[in-house]
Amino acid sequence: MSEPRLTLQFTVNGSEQIIEVSPTRRLLDILRSDLNLTGPKEGCSIGRCGACSVLVDGQSTPACLLLACQLQGRSVQTIEGLRDEPVFERVSAALVNAGALQCGYCTPGIASTLTAALRNNPTATAQELEQALYGNLCRCTGYTGLRQAVAELART
Amino acid sequence: MSTNDFTPRQLNADNFADRWQQRPDARSKARGEQRYPTDELAWPGLLHGRILRSPFPHAQITGINVDAARELPGVRAVVTAADIPGDNHYGIVFRDQPVFCTDRVRYLGDALAAVAADTPEIAAHALSLIEVQYTELPVLGDPAAALADGAPPLHPGGNLLDSSLLEHGDVEAAFKACAFVVEGRYSTPRQMHVFMETEGGVAVPDNQGGLTFRVGCQSGHRDREQLASILDLPLDKVRVIGLATGGGFGGKDELTMQPAAGLLALRTGRPVRIHFDRRESTIAGIKRHPVELVARTGCDAQGNILAHQLHAVLDTGAYATLGPAVLTNLTDHAAAPLYRIPNVKVTGQLVYTNNSVAGAFRGFGGNQATFAVESQLDKLAAAAGLHPAELRKRNLRTPDDPGVEGQTQQQPCDPRLLLDAALASPLWENATESDHRRWLTGVGMALGAQGNGLGNGLPDSGGARLHLSAAGRIELAFGFIEYGQGVIAAVEHLACEYLGCAPDDLDIRLGDSSGPDSGPTSASRSSVIAVEALRRLQPQWRAALQDIAGRHADDLAPGRGGLCTPSGDLRISYAKLAKMAAQRPVLKVHFDFPTGPDATPRGRYLQLLIASVARVAVDRLTGRVRVLQLHHITAGGKVIHPPSYLGQIEGAAVMGMGMALLEDVPMQDGQFLLDNLDAYLIPTLADAPEQRVDVIEAILGGESYPVRGIGELGIEAISPALIAAIENATGVRMHSLPVRPTTLLTAMQEQHP
Ligand code: FES
Ligand code: FES
Repeated sequence: MSEPRLTLQFTVNGSEQIIEVSPTRRLLDILRSDLNLTGPKEGCSIGRCGACSVLVDGQSTPACLLLACQLQGRSVQTIEGLRDEPVFERVSAALVNAGALQCGYCTPGIASTLTAALRNNPTATAQELEQALYGNLCRCTGYTGLRQAVAELART
Repeated sequence: MSTNDFTPRQLNADNFADRWQQRPDARSKARGEQRYPTDELAWPGLLHGRILRSPFPHAQITGINVDAARELPGVRAVVTAADIPGDNHYGIVFRDQPVFCTDRVRYLGDALAAVAADTPEIAAHALSLIEVQYTELPVLGDPAAALADGAPPLHPGGNLLDSSLLEHGDVEAAFKACAFVVEGRYSTPRQMHVFMETEGGVAVPDNQGGLTFRVGCQSGHRDREQLASILDLPLDKVRVIGLATGGGFGGKDELTMQPAAGLLALRTGRPVRIHFDRRESTIAGIKRHPVELVARTGCDAQGNILAHQLHAVLDTGAYATLGPAVLTNLTDHAAAPLYRIPNVKVTGQLVYTNNSVAGAFRGFGGNQATFAVESQLDKLAAAAGLHPAELRKRNLRTPDDPGVEGQTQQQPCDPRLLLDAALASPLWENATESDHRRWLTGVGMALGAQGNGLGNGLPDSGGARLHLSAAGRIELAFGFIEYGQGVIAAVEHLACEYLGCAPDDLDIRLGDSSGPDSGPTSASRSSVIAVEALRRLQPQWRAALQDIAGRHADDLAPGRGGLCTPSGDLRISYAKLAKMAAQRPVLKVHFDFPTGPDATPRGRYLQLLIASVARVAVDRLTGRVRVLQLHHITAGGKVIHPPSYLGQIEGAAVMGMGMALLEDVPMQDGQFLLDNLDAYLIPTLADAPEQRVDVIEAILGGESYPVRGIGELGIEAISPALIAAIENATGVRMHSLPVRPTTLLTAMQEQHP
């Protein structure tokens, strides 16, 4: 059983990576297991919960759905690579101030998605930001704090 | 705030500015820096474990062969029941669940074997090479089938795992005297916890025959006991660290992957990680009990309720776990604890089937019963021509009435206060407007009561340890698990209040079985235990520090940074005290959870109350229900950490909304009809209502127990409030949860053809 291998060249958090992988290895496993970037979390493995959201070429994408063979030449950013960005700083401060998290397992995905939405549209309305989050599930909070954080981000 | 002010106050940052602080873990979580069990990936030599589960809901095992799996390159161990050194069974109440089945499988989650391999892919491949021979047996797909004559017994004691009876007065005679009697058949769904982090963790062997588990769980100490017995290790060779985990809600109370990971780690001498994927979590994980309830309630011509009778049948699935305790709590709630009813009879049956195992889940049977009871009240009010609030008012208990088991209780306040506040809610304004006749809106309300603690004479104790480290840090340890509920915020806040210190002086250690046993992180008990522990520690701590400082320290007290003068000036820092001490203090307390003064503890002593008001809109074309607003009034003692309190009530309410409108794991003949979040939907941001929480902090009887645990309170009354609101909007009363759009639409069409 010799598996085909792929030489994958792509960018992760700004640094060039060249790795030998199975073409069907999921981006989520490459990040979490191979590159030790455990910020993105696994919640459903089928693109439904948003806990694994990362930015691929600037768009929020479930890392559980992308395979190595789809990543050639692309640029991936995880929450680890977003932390120093001013937009992310605003996002995380808004989440903290609004009490928008409890267990926090959904939070990396939510923070990444919000960062992408605001980066792509700095004047996004609360409604637009909420729509960006419809793929991000949270089981703990009831979303009230999240909605407050979104309102805050749309205002400032 | 005066402690006898019973006026509800809206819980928000303005009204609670003095206590409104961020959780200590908020920033690291918002930056994605918090580590979870699922992140235990970097262990040197880590192996990946997988568990083989049954393909049949009920079958005889006639043979098992693991040779081919063992020979697969990259496989380091394959284990079955034959490899278990100790007891092959576990279970919090009865040890009836096999770690690995030997002769029979009883549901699709049953485990047969486990493998540890170099990669998850090899582990998965190895599972497919294990050969098990089965002879299929008839499937008991629901409690009726399991209780039918001639049904094969799933366990030696038969299929009726437990039954309950709570009776006072004579209901049969009393019904004859009633002017109005209503009946209802209710059903509630097999709800799934859907913690965003599934069950999992890692077992790490030391080189002396011992094991450390770093897992998502709800009680390190209880897990340790069960694991030591399974692995036949002395207790001190097993350490369970319950890491901060991505949600619990009761679903991590029982053991999950620990026995298999532990055995594989012992076998291989290497760390073994097992983390369920969502499919495995769906099939092997615990659920909320589906319950069928039949109720009959009657009142006289003036609306005095004379009789109430309820029979409940709970599908507990293949194994017991906490089922018997759920039955007891459901029985208590089914007896209508908020109302003074002279004749009550509640019976319950907890039935084994070949379905998913049901056990602990936020609400713990109470919310299913409250749904039926509050619905009955609404129906009875309609029959008697009374406003639902009026019927309640005439029958509400007083704070001094004994509990449903005759037990003394500590009620927070008169429940009428909550009823009045609910009636004054702004949600009732424009209650039933309609939007171009497409959306029908309606408002409804319900009341709920809940008790803290394990209750009913179960052993229930807790403890803590307080220690001054060599570096002068105040180390405060509890056995509680932080699974999102904010116990870490509560402990930090309480420690500062009772010990006088600043948050920066503190190191809080949670969830480690090598630390103090605080009892399970369940039954809304942690806050109560934390307060009781710190109350006891406070004078000892002060005395211990004064001792170190010597005679002249009598007027110094522990404060921010160290021992301080009465005016708060720092005199001797904690670091200096640590250096001065001949022996640094290690204080330990252990005590029983507060119970009443009754000779034998019965029911639950510390009580809480909630009223939930809901405003919904129903789509006339599709039957879809949108929850627009929720307004809760709670009486749950002092608010320790306001954002956590608010988050617990709001989160529980949305979880209850999921149960009422959306969530169910349907099963047919023991088969799961779904296994992931594509078909099992939970509320999203788009579904989330606006919420408001008003709190009554004062507690009758003053300061004896000023705090209650509120983690389950928000789910208590939400289902009946939503059902009442739907009826208010559409004229249709639903009895079966979740309310699907199609069923509601059909019912609406039948009502107005
Ligand atoms: S794990 Fe990728 S969306 Fe859920
Ligand atoms: S905070 Fe726990 S899932 Fe969102």
